[in-house]
Amino acid sequence: MNESLISYLSQFEGHQAFVKMASEMAGTDLTSTISFMIYLAAVLAVVGVMATIGGLGTYAERKISADLQARQGPNRVGPFGLLQMLADGVKMILKEDIIPRDADKFMFVIAPLLCIVGVFGSLAVVPFSSGFILTDLNVGVFYLLGISSLVGVGIFIGGYSSNSKWSMLGGMRGASQIISYEIPVTLSIIMIVLIAGGMSFGTLISGQGGFPHQWYLFHNPFTFIGFFVYFIGALAETNRAPFDLPEAESELVSGYHTEYTGMRFAFFALAEYIEVFVVCGVAVALFLGGYKVPFDLGNGEAFSALPPIIGKNIGQFLQLGSFFTKTLALYYVVIWIRWTLPRLRVDQLMTLCWKYLTPIALFNLLMVAVWVYAFEGQSMFELFSSMGSGSSGGH
Amino acid sequence: MFDSVLFISSAVLVLVGSLGVLFIKENLMHACVSLLTALFGVAGLYATLGADFLAATQLVVYVGGVVILMLFGIMLTGGGTSNENKFGIEKVPGMGSVKTYIVAGVNVLVISLIVIRIMANVMKDYKAVPLPPYESTVEKLGTLLVTDHVLAFEISSILLLGALVGAAIIARPTRRTN
Amino acid sequence: MSSHNLDVYMPILILMGVGVALVFGAIIFGKLIRPHNPTRLKEQAYECGEDPVGVAWSNFNVRFYVVSLIFIIFDVEGALMFPVASVFKKFNEIGRGGLLLCTLSLFVIILISGVVYCWKKGDLDWVKSFHLDLNKDSESKKVEA
Repeated sequence: MNESLISYLSQFEGHQAFVKMASEMAGTDLTSTISFMIYLAAVLAVVGVMATIGGLGTYAERKISADLQARQGPNRVGPFGLLQMLADGVKMILKEDIIPRDADKFMFVIAPLLCIVGVFGSLAVVPFSSGFILTDLNVGVFYLLGISSLVGVGIFIGGYSSNSKWSMLGGMRGASQIISYEIPVTLSIIMIVLIAGGMSFGTLISGQGGFPHQWYLFHNPFTFIGFFVYFIGALAETNRAPFDLPEAESELVSGYHTEYTGMRFAFFALAEYIEVFVVCGVAVALFLGGYKVPFDLGNGEAFSALPPIIGKNIGQFLQLGSFFTKTLALYYVVIWIRWTLPRLRVDQLMTLCWKYLTPIALFNLLMVAVWVYAFEGQSMFELFSSMGSGSSGGH
Repeated sequence: MFDSVLFISSAVLVLVGSLGVLFIKENLMHACVSLLTALFGVAGLYATLGADFLAATQLVVYVGGVVILMLFGIMLTGGGTSNENKFGIEKVPGMGSVKTYIVAGVNVLVISLIVIRIMANVMKDYKAVPLPPYESTVEKLGTLLVTDHVLAFEISSILLLGALVGAAIIARPTRRTN
Repeated sequence: MSSHNLDVYMPILILMGVGVALVFGAIIFGKLIRPHNPTRLKEQAYECGEDPVGVAWSNFNVRFYVVSLIFIIFDVEGALMFPVASVFKKFNEIGRGGLLLCTLSLFVIILISGVVYCWKKGDLDWVKSFHLDLNKDSESKKVEA
């Protein structure tokens, strides 16, 4: 079933009554229009939050890198330099917009647009909580893979259109790197789909629990390896160090966005930071239990003393907290890795993808299929506990 | 209401994109971007028809894969803007002659007649039945792939193997022996 | 028509619309307040202070093309495996998981053989120019590029 934000809201009587009343007042069926309004509000909220997270991402990047290198980092604008991102935004929008004389102007304009559309399109299926997911498509993960590949096209076109040698090299590297690492990522996702028995994020998360031993990360040894395959692939797909070859500042000046200034550059940066958040969110949803809260506090049944509408919403907030905590922790790891590891060479990059990650991912997929067949989909811990209790373990 | 919005926006994308592919002559890269638009619109059309898995596949394979392949292919020739031909041909030869146009025209007529004939029967029998619930297109597809069409599923992997080996062989540099 | 079901695509369309509006809105809004005084030097492509020589659109190596060809093959493979993987659990619960396991294994093994072939033939190597084989005296240097 295609769940969405609307189907979460329509379980409350207030929403249904409101739709009915508005429809009667207008004389026509307003269900679709009201859905549109709700979606629009939710989309604006998500975009606002994501833009803030993107901005805070640049701040966190500088602050954490400063921390790792025993420096101060931004500390002048606002408390702890927190308003640095606003200052950066103002600076960006005031910068002169330069399009190189020899550039392909149409493509130059369209490249950041493709990146932003690809990233924003993927936000539609990110599961923030069991109720607050904009739309839980049946083909959720697969759709996300498809729509986020627009970013690769955008990066390539950005590099091509600038008519600068640095940009061209960066764009070429970026596109080939993104498509190469999509393969191990896809195979790792198939592995989880195989265990969960569905592609929608709702199904993927419902098979997991709030505690670490219920996560798919610890479902069996192969998913544990698969998580790292996914995470390395996701780092490469978002062009994060040690895979930041498309924008390698010591080789290619700034890579595919060398010629971009002002807001156009800002959109590339925003797309990159939001994409990091999205891939971290997907990693959390697939492997780390998603929005699940321990003791099933998330579904609100523990707050039965309160009215159900309040209880449910407290549960939703707990789920949001759980999701954001895990995702931002992974986000920290991504930044941490960037400032710890040196950059790979192009041939090392391709060797890692084709000779290590892809064979490992294929092997993992087969082994997970064998595991699910042999142990009837039980996880390691279920197996141990059933063995410990003396009943028949496996078969 | 929203059906129409989705359909119209997808159809406009397809139309604009395909017309762009047809009429953008001076720059292959621009033509490729309009092909991207058209393929994106086709994904939207699939979504309108309720084939959600097909729409996602369209995005993954065509938008993510084939367009990048084409962009790389264009870059093999050094970008789309150089009008000078490297092979000494004065102008790009036109597609076909009068004879081929006549044959193509007859073909179009015959095929459209056949299609209209088939469509007419379908249209006559058409009743406005609600679409079956398509929550499970993926599962239906998966079930069919491993039961009725298992041979096709396996043979497709052999086809892919052939394509993989072929791609590798074509791209392999020929070794010069002294 | 099943109008309610299609509503699930609404947020995707809205998100993309918001994205397009954001990009164009910010650029058009910025046009009002940002300076605009282009010079010849400013509009030149950046090449570390040198005057750029020629255009950047040169012929690229064929290996980028090969990578994308291999990618498409794996992409189609993924697209075929996704539906099979998503029914695996259901079939396993009714006791026919073995059938799916065999099907999926055959599919994956055929593709693994393709990867093994490419690997053995050296198509997965990015740099193919020099291959120094110090163990063999007869063919100490193979030039393959």
